[in-house]
Amino acid sequence: MDIKEELKPPQDSVVVEDSYHMVTRRGFVSWLTVGWGAFAGATAIMGAAFQRFLFPNVLREPPQEFKIGFPNDFLEGVVDLRMQDKYGIWVVRGFDPATSQTGIYVLSVICTHLGCTPTWLESEAKFKCPCHGSGFYKTGINFEGPAPRPLERFRVVLAEDGQVQVDKGKKFQYEKGEWTQPEAFLKV
Amino acid sequence: MEALRHTINAFATPTTIYLSSVALFAIAMWKMEIVVKPLVMIPVVIVTVLGTIFALTDDHFFKLVTLPDNIPITIMLATVGYFTWYALKKGVENDKRLSENRPLIEQEQDRRVMTWPNLVYIEFICLIAITVFLIFWSIGFQAPLEEPANPTVTPNPAKAPWYFLGLQEMLVYFDPWLAGVVFPGLIVVGLMALPYIDPNPKGNGYYSFKDRRLVIGYYLFGFLIQWVLLIVLGTFMRGPGWSFFGPFQEWDPHKVEALTNINLSELLWVKLLNIGLPKNILLREGVGIVVVLGYLVALPPLLAKTIFKKLYQELSFIRFQIMCFLFLAMLSLPIKMILRWTINLKYIVAIPEFFFNI
Amino acid sequence: MNSKLKQIQKQIVESQIWKSIFRHGMPDDTRTRAMVVLSNVFLHLHPVKSREAGIRVGYTWCMGGITFFLFLVEAVTGILLMFYYRPTAEYAYSDIIALREHVPLGIMRELHRWGAHAMVIAVWLHMFRVFMTGSYKPPREFNWGIGVVLLVLTLLLSFTGYLLPWDQLAIWAIAVGSNMARATPFLGHEGPGASLLKIGDMNLVHAGDDARFGLLAGRMISEATLLRFYVLHCIFIPFVASILMAIHFWRVRKDGGISGPM
Repeated sequence: MDIKEELKPPQDSVVVEDSYHMVTRRGFVSWLTVGWGAFAGATAIMGAAFQRFLFPNVLREPPQEFKIGFPNDFLEGVVDLRMQDKYGIWVVRGFDPATSQTGIYVLSVICTHLGCTPTWLESEAKFKCPCHGSGFYKTGINFEGPAPRPLERFRVVLAEDGQVQVDKGKKFQYEKGEWTQPEAFLKV
Repeated sequence: MEALRHTINAFATPTTIYLSSVALFAIAMWKMEIVVKPLVMIPVVIVTVLGTIFALTDDHFFKLVTLPDNIPITIMLATVGYFTWYALKKGVENDKRLSENRPLIEQEQDRRVMTWPNLVYIEFICLIAITVFLIFWSIGFQAPLEEPANPTVTPNPAKAPWYFLGLQEMLVYFDPWLAGVVFPGLIVVGLMALPYIDPNPKGNGYYSFKDRRLVIGYYLFGFLIQWVLLIVLGTFMRGPGWSFFGPFQEWDPHKVEALTNINLSELLWVKLLNIGLPKNILLREGVGIVVVLGYLVALPPLLAKTIFKKLYQELSFIRFQIMCFLFLAMLSLPIKMILRWTINLKYIVAIPEFFFNI
Repeated sequence: MNSKLKQIQKQIVESQIWKSIFRHGMPDDTRTRAMVVLSNVFLHLHPVKSREAGIRVGYTWCMGGITFFLFLVEAVTGILLMFYYRPTAEYAYSDIIALREHVPLGIMRELHRWGAHAMVIAVWLHMFRVFMTGSYKPPREFNWGIGVVLLVLTLLLSFTGYLLPWDQLAIWAIAVGSNMARATPFLGHEGPGASLLKIGDMNLVHAGDDARFGLLAGRMISEATLLRFYVLHCIFIPFVASILMAIHFWRVRKDGGISGPM
């Protein structure tokens, strides 16, 4: 009989232990699993809570909904840059091929490529983004450079006092066919 | 002089610069034993120095290179260039020693020496040299400071910090989700995976070239061409509107590049079949999706049977798949570049509805 | 006179104070030289003896050491800059000007900025050297991975610091850089797949809760972003990097010291 076999426990022997303290191996393993599972779960929840902590509830940012003046303040065929600094919008009055109507629409000044602010080049009648050279027509449609989609438009309606009201909280995307929706465009 | 500048400006396009760099790189990889010889390198250095002096006589180039934030790029180019040559020269030297059964450079100095003073003094001298260098640099060049931040006025051109300009240059060819998120992620993951997908036990702990030609070529292509070269292009040759300018060309914000890029789907449905884009997205982009899936899924087994046959036998299945995926991802940039230059291709798969453009 | 000096020196070296600090004599023989390395917590990073080939500048280019030293330079100059710099939209820019115009030794910011650029280059070269000598191969695979993370952290440190002067260069570089986070697959509101994550009509991922929002603490670069980047730059990333550096250095020792031919 070699030494290896001697070390093997006899197969049919039963280990008798104090029944009060006895924890079977299987029971121990399952409690261990529950314990570690609970610990992992608690850690995950804490991690998620810490992550949530980094997302503020209150923002100190300019209001999203504002009035920009009466429709007649905006000239036909002109890209109005006055609201760029204050509200981050361009207001265009003129013919809109998307709805085949004439009126006012409000473009976001954020380039759809990487979020720079394009410049309006009057002589070339286009918005040109300084970051990667994306070009947009007056309507907001992209036609050159890396921008993957047209500029976004914001909700524009006539307020009760007759002023043009813009809501940046609601945006309309051309590629989703949203420009034809009623509030994407203000018929004048 | 003026004529030479014009010629260089005319010659310098992203296409020519990228392709000629790749060609030089390939030649160097092929004939490294000759390229690293002083007889070759001394003329290269002389030409580089003379070329730089010539270039600096141009006002525009001078201004660009001496911008405070561009100084580090010059230092980076000089050091990366020097150390690349130095490491490869040592590698070639060790290759020669191995083939002649002589001990490696590193094996000749196999004594154990006392850390104090041998190593500590080297570090001490290095530290003093770096400090002196930094102080002179700081006195010589003021840190840049422009007008106060104004979120509504974008400077033209607006550039990321110089070490990310390679990624910004990549944005010309890929959408942000690829160029800005997926590819940087793959670079990091790929670098970390490197020790696990390089099965070659040779070249461990000493400079070498011949035994590791493939992996060195892989790494150097990524580092020198895809990273450093793109930084240079992005810094010195991308002007207002991210338009491309020759090294001696004034940055004119009104430069018009009459480039209208088209998608593969437009090329297929509108130009080729002349029936207009189908409404169904999957049908519209079907060909592009098949091409991309084929590139990522069907190509690895094909590579395993052909050019990577030996590698496939050395690596396990999973390692080979990972290696192939990283390799193909890296290769996708030159492929996309060439497609852009030749057929003005914008996207292979264009689903802007879900921001999914490849 | 000379004997007087000798006597003073002897008195100092044999004083209780001196002996409590230095546990060894002048490092002029093998034993005391070993003692220097063993009894100093900083030099203790090194082994007592090193492979001659491994410590040659021609082999290591000293780039790892230079990177670490530049990190220390950044820490020291950074702490000094913090005495004058206030991370608010109102003061940040003028504090940077003050650092140049009013504060003594007006090159502190230059040292910090150029040191940062130099550190980026040094990290690349260190990695390049480690690659070219095949020092990432077994048994050093794990330490190579740590090194890659440290490379990323170095770039992030530099990137977060770029915003702090609060000038046009700063915010637009960060705008271009951070806008990519908008396009993160599933986690950015302009990333592929994000529009699929919704309950009924409500988008789960939008401009007000995506990856970029978390990075900038808002929908646009604002004062909250400045504070966030300031904390990342001064505390969080250096803290993580320091821990990883400790692991990195320790593993260099444990994995066989500076690499040499296997």
